[in-house]
Amino acid sequence: MMSTIFINPFSQEAKERVKAIGDINRIMEDDPRLFRIIEHTSGQKLDDDSKIPGSLWELSIKRIEWYLKKRGRGKYNPGYYRFLFNPELAEFDVVAFYILAQAIGARFNPNSRETRIFIESEGELVKERLSTMENHLKERISTSILEELLDGETPHWSQLEKLLENRRIKLTELILKNGKVILDKESQQGRNRHIIEALREKIIPYLIIQETEKYINKVHKMAAKIEPHPTLLELADKIREKISQQFFIPKKAGAGTIRASRLDFDAFPPCIKNTMAGVKAGNRNDAIVLLLTGFLSYARLYPAVFKDRKPHKVSDFDPNLDVTLNEILPLIYEAADNCEPPLFQDDPQEKFNITAKLGFGLHETPSLEHEGESKWYTPMSCEKIKIHLPSLCKPDKLCEKIQNPLTYYNRKRWEKKGKGDKDIPRSNTRR
Amino acid sequence: MIRIFQEATPEDRRKYYTREWKIENIPDFIRENIHLREFGFDHTGQGPNDRYRFFHDEKLLIKFLRYRAPYAAYSSVALYKRPWRREGWISSELVFDVDAKDLPVRPCKCDNVCEECLDQAKEVVAMIIDTLRDDLDLDDIHIIYSGRGYHIRVLDPLILELGSEVRGQILRYVVGGDVPKLSYVGLDGSIRSLDHFMVDMGYPRVFTERGRYIILHFSGDEKIEDITRQTMKKILESRDLIRSDDWGEFKGVIGPIVYERLMRGVAKLNLQLVDARVTIDLKRILRLPSSLHSKVSMICTHVKNLETFNPLRDAVPGFVKEKS
Repeated sequence: MMSTIFINPFSQEAKERVKAIGDINRIMEDDPRLFRIIEHTSGQKLDDDSKIPGSLWELSIKRIEWYLKKRGRGKYNPGYYRFLFNPELAEFDVVAFYILAQAIGARFNPNSRETRIFIESEGELVKERLSTMENHLKERISTSILEELLDGETPHWSQLEKLLENRRIKLTELILKNGKVILDKESQQGRNRHIIEALREKIIPYLIIQETEKYINKVHKMAAKIEPHPTLLELADKIREKISQQFFIPKKAGAGTIRASRLDFDAFPPCIKNTMAGVKAGNRNDAIVLLLTGFLSYARLYPAVFKDRKPHKVSDFDPNLDVTLNEILPLIYEAADNCEPPLFQDDPQEKFNITAKLGFGLHETPSLEHEGESKWYTPMSCEKIKIHLPSLCKPDKLCEKIQNPLTYYNRKRWEKKGKGDKDIPRSNTRR
Repeated sequence: MIRIFQEATPEDRRKYYTREWKIENIPDFIRENIHLREFGFDHTGQGPNDRYRFFHDEKLLIKFLRYRAPYAAYSSVALYKRPWRREGWISSELVFDVDAKDLPVRPCKCDNVCEECLDQAKEVVAMIIDTLRDDLDLDDIHIIYSGRGYHIRVLDPLILELGSEVRGQILRYVVGGDVPKLSYVGLDGSIRSLDHFMVDMGYPRVFTERGRYIILHFSGDEKIEDITRQTMKKILESRDLIRSDDWGEFKGVIGPIVYERLMRGVAKLNLQLVDARVTIDLKRILRLPSSLHSKVSMICTHVKNLETFNPLRDAVPGFVKEKS
């Protein structure tokens, strides 16, 4: 019978197994049992030895590599990763999970790109494993996971606060009764039963993600007090290398990609133009920190973020931060000065928040050593602008078709290009 | 005949705060932590420009209100360790602001507020409170008549420390701000979709109820994206089917494409039932219960019983009655 540890690394059984077989000093050693399982995995491609993990160390790297390949634009051949979906691998897999979580938690910040990729990869693995399972098995495992992680199949909605806060799930997607989220399929009949079933399948990967986040935070805090094992740090560096390779930006972008270039002020949407002109008290902080900072930095460095959906860092595009410090920040600060009263006059701490929104933590100015302490935030969506900053939202015709100011910017630049406006006139780049 | 909704003069304000206003009319949930709240005042009718006010105790607040007789008085929904600087945030109430003047569907078509739209606001408040209690299991809910609508103030410990994002999600749930997406994989592996009215529980039920409310209150002048005047006429002609809960038939009559557009429009209108900015703002100041709403000469009143509360009887200050 298939064990729940293949889906839930936080079960009691998983923890016990890891304690019994997870010797950190031996994770680099080849294990013939691991090879045997992979060899006997149905559909597994075996034509290239270098693609088959022989040790727990290699298996850990393969877990991340699978995710990077799957979501990347390069060649992804699922046949080389079939073993990740073979339940026979469960015992090795759960150890690999803990090795990865400890390596990443010890080396990287909880908001870093590396951490986010690991957490997302875990959620994706769980989702895919569940989708390939037979229904009765999925039911049994889902029930046991809900019991282990939420103390039952009808948790209070407030137990999902973190998932709601991160917008991984929406409250309006849940079925609530007296505060309880109905995930108990047996209590329902007919159509309702199907809906609950779909909800269970959706929520479980997110529960694992939530637990993984908690675990990484715990490891990160502990690593500040206790020296991490050198093997873990070595693995973390290897992971960073793998991720950096995937996120390397070639100098010449392919046809059809949205390339970074000097800012074209004429292509700014009305809300951004209004923000640049200065905002009155009450809306200043949100307009400058949450809207303008994300907009200008992405428009200048990574306008294709919504197309690619890759968690890049500022330094992927601006390795020495020259553009950030000499072009982007001065524009943000100038807009802050145009506010009424000037934003930094009574809220000097907002400089720290601007740096944080660029992904450099709570510091006065961005520096490479602090990169990853926070997330590089994309600009607010039009929907949020309408709620938070209605006075800045003066939509024009193009606004009707888009959902984010950055999309407006890209569309407008594209339209201008179509009209023969080949390059941005110098006068449009700085006003 | 009571002359309501007329602006109070400085003399009226003075009369109100010296003769009629009592500290006991401020609800206990504010009185017991006055020293942790930020207060704000509008002295001229231009908005609450006098902010970051702090009162160590009730006596100082009484003195201030009697002496200054402000045009409007506000207190924060948040508690702070240092309210005079809005620093050291402790918690915030969850608030829903239902303004009769801003309701998205107003059959009364009045310019400001009238008895009919105030009643309508009351109906919206009752619906939201039912959902907060029944679906979200929230308690300690207070209703304040604000002068031109109602504030729902939730003090349940479960929500006091929530951030803006989750508050925004609660708002979308209670007003019906998203069209439910209900799909599942059938036995044959194909994806099957259900309409909101086919699932009589949880959020789909809330959306159906709000949809019913909105459609039955359409005046016909509402503008909904991609719905023409002609189609709107058809919707109005067929809406009795919704009254009798025949949603499937209603969908059949107006057609599935128009129905989808209508539901998207309904979700957008639902979001306008409350002022979303108030709900997500953790540092908002709200009209102080017991204070005078000078623009309309009405008392901001803590409502004990929503069913029996009549603003035109229970929130009218003495000076208005005297004039009448």
